[in-house]
Amino acid sequence: MATREIISTGNELSAIAAVDAGCEFFGGYPLTPSSEVMHVISDLLPAVGGAAIQMEDEIAGICCVIGASMTGKRALTATSGPGVSLKAENLGLAQMAEVPLVLVNVMRGGPSTGLPTRVSQGDVLQAKNPSHGDYKSITLCAGTLAECYTEVVRAFNLADRFMQPVIVLTDETLGHMHGKAMLPTLEEVKAGIKLRKQFDGAPEDYFPYECEADEPAVLNSMFKGYRYHFTGLHHDKNGFPTEEIETCRKLIQRLEDKVELHRDELELNEEFMLDDLTGADDEVLIIAYGSVSLAAKEAIRDLRKQGIKAGLFRPITLWPSPAERIKHFTDKIKNVLCVELNIAQYTAEVERVSGRIGSIEGLYKVNGRAIAPHEIVEKVKEVF
Amino acid sequence: MAYNYDKYLRLEKMPTLWCWGCGDGVILKATIRAIEKMGWKQDDVCVISGIGCSGRFSSYVDFNTIHTTHGRTVAYATGVKLANPDKHVICVAGDGDALAIGGNHTIHACRRNIDINFIIINNFIYGLTNSQTSPTTPQGFWTVSQKAGNIDPTFNASNLAIASGASFVGRETMLDPKKLERLLVKGFEHKGFSFLEVLSNCHINLGRKNKMASAMDNLNWIDSITVSKAKYDKMSEEERLNLLPTGVLHHDTEAREYCDMYQEIKDVHQGKRAKITQDDFAKKI
Amino acid sequence: MSLIKAPENTPVWVDTARCKACDVCVDVCPAGVLSMQAEPTSTLGAMISIVALEDCIGCNDCELSCPDFAIYVADKKTDNIKFAKLTDESKARAAAIVANNYRLPENYGK
Repeated sequence: MATREIISTGNELSAIAAVDAGCEFFGGYPLTPSSEVMHVISDLLPAVGGAAIQMEDEIAGICCVIGASMTGKRALTATSGPGVSLKAENLGLAQMAEVPLVLVNVMRGGPSTGLPTRVSQGDVLQAKNPSHGDYKSITLCAGTLAECYTEVVRAFNLADRFMQPVIVLTDETLGHMHGKAMLPTLEEVKAGIKLRKQFDGAPEDYFPYECEADEPAVLNSMFKGYRYHFTGLHHDKNGFPTEEIETCRKLIQRLEDKVELHRDELELNEEFMLDDLTGADDEVLIIAYGSVSLAAKEAIRDLRKQGIKAGLFRPITLWPSPAERIKHFTDKIKNVLCVELNIAQYTAEVERVSGRIGSIEGLYKVNGRAIAPHEIVEKVKEVF
Repeated sequence: MAYNYDKYLRLEKMPTLWCWGCGDGVILKATIRAIEKMGWKQDDVCVISGIGCSGRFSSYVDFNTIHTTHGRTVAYATGVKLANPDKHVICVAGDGDALAIGGNHTIHACRRNIDINFIIINNFIYGLTNSQTSPTTPQGFWTVSQKAGNIDPTFNASNLAIASGASFVGRETMLDPKKLERLLVKGFEHKGFSFLEVLSNCHINLGRKNKMASAMDNLNWIDSITVSKAKYDKMSEEERLNLLPTGVLHHDTEAREYCDMYQEIKDVHQGKRAKITQDDFAKKI
Repeated sequence: MSLIKAPENTPVWVDTARCKACDVCVDVCPAGVLSMQAEPTSTLGAMISIVALEDCIGCNDCELSCPDFAIYVADKKTDNIKFAKLTDESKARAAAIVANNYRLPENYGK
């Protein structure tokens, strides 16, 4: 129950969420507009016996987080687009070695240095495959101030459940927005913590990477009497490098299947004012996520006042995408408008899962400014 | 003396994939002996290696081991150590891993003075990937990426470490494994960042095209370019030109270790002490 | 460090399954105890062999210098071994072996 009221910024809420969710380690590097996450958590963590460190660069930031997580600590880093680019190789190692961690990306204008102090949603495709190779990204996207908190909490639980990095996308608008957030109580958050599985049998019976074809590795925390090997190379059940054909195939397939075959545990959407849509020709479906969804909801209220029945489908877990649910609505509603602060990055996924190539409208803004509700209203009237 | 290393080895991974006569095996043994001398429990030790032939180090030893991406051993190690200050962390990396791609992390780990033991196996080349120039490959040597002759100037790794603020810096070769073991023990005993440069032979990828195709030729070359620090200190600039001193090159027993200092931060935030100011430090700039 | 018990009356012994025939131990032995010999079935066509067991002085240089855990020297105390002294004869043999590409010259000393 969201009964705890905190007045703060998105970035600060993300930091508080991490500590509330049991995070014990932060490693990172300053990068606008994410730096406040580091500033806040560098005070919160040592107060509860944890450690936060500003490293010498973005890459060191993710490496020390992976190292800490290998020792069993819940670990966080926070950055923006350019930092994810730098961290990509080591995110890949965390995927390959199945090391949980949470990465908060407070999105800003890109590519390259782009617009450091302005908003965009340009890292959506990057979040799907930041690193080379085959694996399944888990990417959540906060769409409200409160979600800057709750999605970070959820991310830690998902990271431990699926034993891999989880990316939480927020953006400059939410990161720096100051307002009231209604959050679950601390007791509720603590009660919901589900830590990574541990093997409690004899060390000689422990094979960290031997598991079912759709399950993640069970990685015991370091220093607890179970000695094994982490590597970014393809590896066998002990973690040792191997090139054996079947072992390699099964490993990569399992990295895919451990997420793909359990999408139901990951899916989270908001369906806003979609209940009364029947499929009539003049109804409008808007698909938006992140801070844009705040404007979309306002636009929908405006449209309805003007007699246009519109609703919002908002994925909160962006990757893997809620394919079936998207298709359910895109099959039903003829007029679909995707609204994003990028050029059609998630629209591409909507088209793919709906089969409606070329019949999805888009409102795309890439000038570093937010989309105002009236812009969405005008676009709806223009194209439908 | 018939040391039985079995307890510390992942025997199922033997024999090592290193070339015949490769110094990595000698350094592996010396490291195990040093760990044994320290009396550390295997469960309390984390060995982290990078990419390269020396990167395979971590898979052969029975500790908590990590094989990282290229150049990042000390960055991973910083997370392991800071989150678990009472455990023992040893990083092993080659000259390319530690000084090229990993140069920045090496410099800052030295500066930070976190209690990690960093063994840099300097064989003057990129061995595993077949003979590319490394930051320590002597000028004029043949490398596969500079077949007309290497023009790149070199780092003196230990000097770099001292300048970066490492509180313990030592260099040895694997020509005298007992001396090497003693240096490693001193480094492990030191509370703070220990930079341990070990000169090693890569006769296959450095030596073969540079007139030292056998392990012994390569080792004799290493012998010819090194001299004890005691002798080195008495030499003229000219005599020193083509020599590297070995032994303990720098040992600051006063430098404060990072995790200890971080404990002070925890104390500040838990109300156990006042905020840290410049007065807490002898050095003001 | 725990020790491996030496076989009876054996100052130094080798594990040919592990030896990669790198020549290093032969080079460092001051007493000419070790030599490479031809071994067509091994990768480099050579294998370590002990040619003067009784002249081993127990200096441990071979064991310390071997990268592959392939050669072991007995422990003075626990194995109750009496090692030899280093003689001019041993030194001469060592030099001859090193000069002959780490192989004891045929008919040496005969």
